[in-house]
Amino acid sequence: MAVLATSACDETIITVRRMSKHFGDFAALRDIDLDIRRSEVLCLIGPSGSGKSTLLRCLNFLEPYDRGEVRMRGQLIGWQEGNNPRRPLPPAKLREQRRHIGMVFQQFNLWPHFTALQNVAEALLKVKKLPRGEAMARAEAALQKVNLRDKVNSYPSALSGGQQQRVAIARAIAMEPSLMLFDEPTSALDPELVGEVLNVMKQMAAEGMTMVVVTHEMGFAAHVADRVAFLDHGRLVTCVPPAEIFGAEPADARVRSFLQTYRERNVV
Amino acid sequence: MEFDLYLRYGPALLHGFGVTVLCWIVGSIGGIVLGFAIACLYRWTSRPLRWLLQAYIEVIRGTPFMIQLFILYYGGPHFGLVLDPVPAGILSFIIYGSPYFAEIFRGGFNAIPRGQIEAARCVGLAEWTITTRITLPQMLVFITAPLTNFLIILTKETAILSVVTVPELLYQTQTMASETFTYIEPFLVLSLFYWAMVVATSWLGERVEARVTRHLRRAY
Repeated sequence: MAVLATSACDETIITVRRMSKHFGDFAALRDIDLDIRRSEVLCLIGPSGSGKSTLLRCLNFLEPYDRGEVRMRGQLIGWQEGNNPRRPLPPAKLREQRRHIGMVFQQFNLWPHFTALQNVAEALLKVKKLPRGEAMARAEAALQKVNLRDKVNSYPSALSGGQQQRVAIARAIAMEPSLMLFDEPTSALDPELVGEVLNVMKQMAAEGMTMVVVTHEMGFAAHVADRVAFLDHGRLVTCVPPAEIFGAEPADARVRSFLQTYRERNVV
Repeated sequence: MEFDLYLRYGPALLHGFGVTVLCWIVGSIGGIVLGFAIACLYRWTSRPLRWLLQAYIEVIRGTPFMIQLFILYYGGPHFGLVLDPVPAGILSFIIYGSPYFAEIFRGGFNAIPRGQIEAARCVGLAEWTITTRITLPQMLVFITAPLTNFLIILTKETAILSVVTVPELLYQTQTMASETFTYIEPFLVLSLFYWAMVVATSWLGERVEARVTRHLRRAY
């Protein structure tokens, strides 16, 4: 069993090859190469506009990348195989791919007319098509996991930012994804609420969830990430264990100057 | 005031009111359905069809209802479309209302934050499920007031149907007036009937609005 477990950890879930994304003439991402292994926590850092969020959104095809490949367990994401020019997958196929990739947004994006429980249960009912009782039980279990068992019947408007973000995390993990994407999950939160969200994310990491996290929380990147990728002007500058970025002087000048601004605020 | 007139013309007036309500309700529901379909098509379709829909909206909104009714009822037979007055009235009512409803729905769609749609796509919800479960219930918050408004306007537009001999309220009232040479009595009751429809509509609008904004007020 131990041998199996080790080999499972080395399994690559996502491979990105020479992937590019343009908005008009602007190249948001250029020739990205990246492997994401199972149970790995990968943090994406870099200046504003460097392409972190765009890279994350290309992984589940919220942004259609226009060159190169994103593959999940060998399956091309978003596009049909072959064909030149490429054609997007039929909607049902894309939905099938997406339900294995959970996503958490900066602005939470809860559905305000649903209670916390309904927010989490919706996809269980409509996508997994579970019977009502089972869907509700699983939704409650997911909310329990993010310590919101007592808020199941609250509407988002009655929850704090940190609580809303945890509901959003519960909504994603209830679908039992094999990959979780976080797009600046704590950037819209008051400082004292950041911790409760990060703690939930740490717990998920400890349980072996594969996570890609766009973040400005350098502490989280330094202590929880297995690798940290630094992006600048749409290029992946480096992707290394956090010690190589936060420990001694990082090799790349752009990484050094980026981290300097954080050091001046004593964040790292 | 000669109240015994009402005894004599009561049945005719009530029948006229029934026809008015029928044309109004069926026409409005049809207009809402067609308008919603246009708004959905507009949202998901390609540019040429979108241009076509925009043209439809501009033409129908840009011409008077009475002219549209004339063209359908008197011009229809030239194209093999022969309709009785009531079906013709209802059909033209549906067509007349649809672009206004479409614009109300289009505004409603635009009022829903994009992120909520993205979140729904991320958990694998289908576009139609997103529309019926996420977008539509929330847009009701924004569109109930304009919808109620337009439905109230439509109650009174039904009077125009009398010009193609639909036996609705105004038609019956005018008959009563010309047969008895009275004016106050028939038009007083006409006003009361319209007023009742308007009051009922705005009451319903308030109820719907209270229902769809529940989540914005209720806090635990």
